Amino acid sequence: MVHVLGVALPDMQLARLALTNFYGIGHKTAQRLCARLQIHDRSKIRDLTAQQITELASFLASPSTAPPLRRMPLASPTFQPPPASTPIEVLRKRVTELSKPTGAEPLRNLKIEAEGRRVVRENIAHQRMIGSYVGKRHAMGLPVRGQNTQSNAKTAKKLNRVNRFG
Amino acid sequence: MQPSLILRSGRSAWKGPYFVAFPNLKQALEDHVPIRTQERSCTILPNFVGIRFMVHNGKDYIPVTVTQDMVGHKLGEFAHTKKRFVYRMTKNR
Repeated sequence: MVHVLGVALPDMQLARLALTNFYGIGHKTAQRLCARLQIHDRSKIRDLTAQQITELASFLASPSTAPPLRRMPLASPTFQPPPASTPIEVLRKRVTELSKPTGAEPLRNLKIEAEGRRVVRENIAHQRMIGSYVGKRHAMGLPVRGQNTQSNAKTAKKLNRVNRFG
Repeated sequence: MQPSLILRSGRSAWKGPYFVAFPNLKQALEDHVPIRTQERSCTILPNFVGIRFMVHNGKDYIPVTVTQDMVGHKLGEFAHTKKRFVYRMTKNR
């Protein structure tokens, strides 16, 4: 049983599925996380090395400030290596250009555990503060999205609060 | 978290928000005269901030004062259409 950021990850579980135990991480984000941290798809928590676990913990502690993953593109089948006389600075420059991260990084805005719960609480508080219909329904503890209340509102009655998550 | 105009609407972003050009908007801003409206689906724009609306709920007109936080929402969200449910057992059985 490994503990990462206060959440226990069971040893026997696949790493990709164990990551869903965090609040704010589902199957898609877990898959992206494993790709980002280069954890094998079929590896279990007991197979991860200590270094991988520290990398995971440090990434999840602050996803926005984590250094981006270097790209390591494969050469094409018809690749011709540059001649041996090319100066080393040119080769190094080419390597840094090729390994620059491109595109959007969806994991940058990842919010887990306390931060994720705070986002939800702030949204509900915002709705309540402006006095909208959604805020009123949360305050009454009733369904918000137009569900039936003549019967079947058990989850909403149990969970809908202005100060959700305590 | 402030939901932006684009995120709030279920409407496609390329269409832009649905809103109504009120004829007495400038007068309402200056004289604080409330605008009576049945346009519940009108999105609240930034230039509506500070205006008092009287939004129709089917029967009456509910007063709504627009603040900066309300900008992406619709007018009808602030005028409830149903009376609050109260359980009162009637005497006739």
